[in-house]
Amino acid sequence: MTLLWLSVGFGLVTTSVLALAALGLSLQFGITNYINFAYGDFMALGGFFTYFLNNEALHLNIWLSMAIATVAMGFFGVLINRLLLGPFARRFTSSHYVLIVTFGLSLIMLNVIYSIWGADVRFYSLPPGSALHIGPLLLTTSQLIVMGIAVVLVGAVHTILQTTRLGKSMRAMSDNGTLAMTSGIDTRMVTTVTWFMSGALAGVAGAVLGVSEGNLTPAAGELFLFVIFAAVILGGIGSIYGALAGAVVIGMSTEISAAFINPAYKLDIAFVALILTLLIRPNGLIARPGMT
Amino acid sequence: MTYYIFTLVFFLFDYFILAMGLNIQYGITGILNFAYIGFVAVGAYVTGVAAMPANTVGQHYILGLGLPFPFNLLLGGFAAMGLSVLIALITLRRLRTDYLAIVLVSLSLVFYDFCNNYVSLFNGADGLYNVPEPFAKTLGLGSNNFIVFFACLTGVVSLIMWFVMSRVMRAPLGRTFRAVRDDAVTAAALGKNTFWMQMKAMMIGSFFAGIGGGLLIQFGGSFNPTAWLPAETFVVFAVLIVGGAGNNIGMFVGALLVETLLIHLPAFLPEIPGHPGLIEYIDTVIVGVVLMVMLWFRPQGIVPARLRKTASFGVDERLDEEAGELDRTTALAGVGTRAEATR
Repeated sequence: MTLLWLSVGFGLVTTSVLALAALGLSLQFGITNYINFAYGDFMALGGFFTYFLNNEALHLNIWLSMAIATVAMGFFGVLINRLLLGPFARRFTSSHYVLIVTFGLSLIMLNVIYSIWGADVRFYSLPPGSALHIGPLLLTTSQLIVMGIAVVLVGAVHTILQTTRLGKSMRAMSDNGTLAMTSGIDTRMVTTVTWFMSGALAGVAGAVLGVSEGNLTPAAGELFLFVIFAAVILGGIGSIYGALAGAVVIGMSTEISAAFINPAYKLDIAFVALILTLLIRPNGLIARPGMT
Repeated sequence: MTYYIFTLVFFLFDYFILAMGLNIQYGITGILNFAYIGFVAVGAYVTGVAAMPANTVGQHYILGLGLPFPFNLLLGGFAAMGLSVLIALITLRRLRTDYLAIVLVSLSLVFYDFCNNYVSLFNGADGLYNVPEPFAKTLGLGSNNFIVFFACLTGVVSLIMWFVMSRVMRAPLGRTFRAVRDDAVTAAALGKNTFWMQMKAMMIGSFFAGIGGGLLIQFGGSFNPTAWLPAETFVVFAVLIVGGAGNNIGMFVGALLVETLLIHLPAFLPEIPGHPGLIEYIDTVIVGVVLMVMLWFRPQGIVPARLRKTASFGVDERLDEEAGELDRTTALAGVGTRAEATR
């Protein structure tokens, strides 16, 4: 029983990380309509930039480094869209090309990270924290902060989407880009803001992944990408609330299953969920209209 | 020196085969198979375990048939083909391009994860090693001579495969593939079963992947999971795009430029002291950049697929097979440029 509650605790943390990552991927997919295969490496870069501020350059507090890296990754996302992906997406109507470009970008980013930081496993320097008993759960301070970050950011994105003019424009673009443009929405600006949010969420997700896993490797983002895919497809691709629901299901099921089977296979649980979704409900839990 | 040259020759021919397989899937039929290296790996593993004896000290694997050379290779090819049928059944039916790409990328990561952890299948993270070298005993070849011999053998195999593939591409089947790629809806309206066509392309391409993978394991004698992370799929895509999607000569040119010159030649450079693997990392970055530059400035590749002649609208008994060819705007290696949008 203790083991079960312990894995529920891990499940909550993984869900938090996954929710942040899936949210960023879904926002960007909803607006630009192509998948960014380099997203996992955006996460890794965010994680390593945090590491750089935390351990190498300024020796800042981990959470402060994370905040700076998040904003930096936001600008990086905008830059990548402006200089690379945007031009490719506009030039070729067939989505094949931009998918191959993001696939290539993923490889480039991964190897740039390897060139700078090497293949060694890295560790953040976390402030010493104690384990806390919350109900039946046992969680460390940093795990609680990770969950807090997830709740705050997901709440913030929700508020932006539902109450602000910008959020309304984003939802309009995600439903029908052409119609949004003809209605006078500044689609270029909305795309830029979306890339900023997507990049920032990737950055923070990469850093909290490093905190929750306890270590940092360049390839971690790439392996995690596939768990994000499972969550996003389960929820219904492009649907933001679906992605969150998918994150909960996948995050909890991978961690809780690890209490019963060999934890090495927890990725495969996510994959089984992915295949079952495709067979039973290919549009996901919350299907986006016109996305078959 | 001979060793180096013939290693390069081997990789040239082997990637020629691999690129032809991806070409029929992506270049001709338009299936964005981001799990390609998974099929290569299955071909390699099955070829390996089919050749190995039933028991080897220190290694765990299935099969262990001890088959002689061409038969184990064929078994590897068919294993990859069988897997592709399974995957195509799940994924091809109702997935659009980017869904398919996601599922296939995930699949290749899961293959990797599963083979890495499930030791009794293909020996886990250590991979297979000491795979018997074909004909080495019967011909009494030393390791250097074996490399020369096997590079030439691979050349012969690749020529046979090239012959088969160019027949397929010229045949009505190849035209139908292109029709499905250019406009699946039109092809379906004209009575083509697009799902079945994509399935056939997956099967043919995966067979090529399996053969290419089988030759890889026979050449090196070993194979382990790190050799087939998604980055390796990207290399095959780079070969295909640099060479020119949609034609076989382009695949050869691509294999020569990307695989031989960009990837394997720098591997012979000495390591930079204190930075293990740095050359390889930088090299991979260069491959990525080259691919993007190619896609931007010359998306049809170095050797573009040639435009095919239009079928006449008169009475032509082959018209049904060529009907898909009516859609010609994207004939240039399937490049969907602005012209497609304004069509």
